[in-house]
Amino acid sequence: MMEFEKRGVPTVSFTAETFVRDARRSAESFGFGGLPLAVVPLPFTNQPPDAVCVEVDECIDDVIAGLTKDVLPTKAHQEIVTVSDEWLTIKGDSELEALEEMNRLFLEYGWGDGFPLRAPDERSIARILKGTTRSPDDIVAVLEPGFGKATVEKIAVNALMAGCRPEHLPVVIAAVECLAEPKMYLRNKAMSTGPHAPLIWVNGPIAKRAGINSGVCALGPGAMSYANSVIGRAVRLCMMNIGLTYAGISDMDTIGSPTKYSMCVAENQQASPWAPYHVDHGYDAGVSTVSVHFVYGICELHDFTNYQPSRLVDVFATAANNAAQLSTGLWLIGRRADPRYGTEEKEHHTMFICPEHANNFHKAGWGKEEIRKAMYAKARMSFEMIMLAKERKAMEAAHPELQWLWDSPETMLPVVEDPDCYEIVVVGGAAGRGAFFWGAGEPGTKEVTDIGGES
Amino acid sequence: MSIINIRNPIAELVEQKIEPARRSSDLNGKRIGLYWNMKGGGDVALAHLEELLRRRYPSSRFTHYQGTVGFIMRHCTPADANRIAKEVDAIVGTTSD
Repeated sequence: MMEFEKRGVPTVSFTAETFVRDARRSAESFGFGGLPLAVVPLPFTNQPPDAVCVEVDECIDDVIAGLTKDVLPTKAHQEIVTVSDEWLTIKGDSELEALEEMNRLFLEYGWGDGFPLRAPDERSIARILKGTTRSPDDIVAVLEPGFGKATVEKIAVNALMAGCRPEHLPVVIAAVECLAEPKMYLRNKAMSTGPHAPLIWVNGPIAKRAGINSGVCALGPGAMSYANSVIGRAVRLCMMNIGLTYAGISDMDTIGSPTKYSMCVAENQQASPWAPYHVDHGYDAGVSTVSVHFVYGICELHDFTNYQPSRLVDVFATAANNAAQLSTGLWLIGRRADPRYGTEEKEHHTMFICPEHANNFHKAGWGKEEIRKAMYAKARMSFEMIMLAKERKAMEAAHPELQWLWDSPETMLPVVEDPDCYEIVVVGGAAGRGAFFWGAGEPGTKEVTDIGGES
Repeated sequence: MSIINIRNPIAELVEQKIEPARRSSDLNGKRIGLYWNMKGGGDVALAHLEELLRRRYPSSRFTHYQGTVGFIMRHCTPADANRIAKEVDAIVGTTSD
């Protein structure tokens, strides 16, 4: 609606009570404090038509007022604590008590993820910055929805708070660069009512240097996944304190997800029979990369029985066939799109294939391409099932040429747009158990170019 | 007493600014757009709103719109917004969930 205001057209937005804070804060962050709202008690979604009409009846005066009365601008980020001092002084009877006080204060301000934070003091910051060759003042990206400048130093401060060491910093910086790619449509994923969480995987020499686990328990928890845990956590803290993605204020996730705390692995290149992920995407094997894919959730890919590729795919495809998952068959109602940048994303899924299964495929002569094609052929659902929780009119708008499907609801359709919508990464230890991540849009990959001297 | 000096983790923000459109005090005779983002129920709400507004402002004209890109939420492209802005004097949307 702000695009219309920009063009001189007065607007009013219907908003459910539960989204009022989010709507106001979003508008403020985009420079339009005072966005006129017509507030209804409940979202229109999942309501019978009669109930929707009653809600409209009761706020008709707000609609008219919003279109006819002057907008009173409000200050941006009113609900977010931003302190202008670049250095904060914390006192306690001992250093440990001062640290406790810092943690109490940061939680009060909303700057923490709920777990204890490390203190970003001058000496620690200077040390972690040795992990990168970049200048502390370099602006790596501007992160939405708050439009925060992600300088190397601010990333380092948040990485330090998460528990990162200098050798982890270049990975966090590259992940932040991924987040800010226009195609990532960060605003949508950060602010959604869904559990979009950044899944990070690392390729190349940086993985070993940074101590990122690619094998048993790579997604954690545990000491062997220390680097994984703190890097993933650092990315979340950057989303919060740089991008201003705060739970209940700008992140309106209906239930939330433990995956939002941290999800980072290295590809198990040593145990993989195939070329690494980054080589498939045009990078030299000696280059290090970080990939980020926002995902909704995880399903296990368990199979201790089969060794034949087609049987394994039969099993894996059942994970993709899930009508309750938003991304399933989403192509039927369009693509995730950010009109500001003209980007469109297909819905991709990421598959962490365990080395055991990868070697089964390889021995039978299958590469990733064969798996993708087989998944595309096998992971299919009837049109009727795919559309169970999707808006008919959206399908009509997205695919007018496919309206015949309403008369043939049993038609089986692929749950993704094309075979390349399956991302394949080899991860894990020695057992026939992988992981399937329902994705939200496409992953992004960035090269790590700024590895510093200290490790 | 111990003191620790720590760096503020919050980033400097790039300020954004949009000026609100000028409002007219009367909607009579105005062209009113009704924009649906395609989330369930929004179309019902806007159709009902049109009925209510027609009763109050019989000389007003109403046009329904939806975005041309997106999925569960459909958005306007800049070209859509330019076109719609020329066709309406005010617009109501089901856009904030």
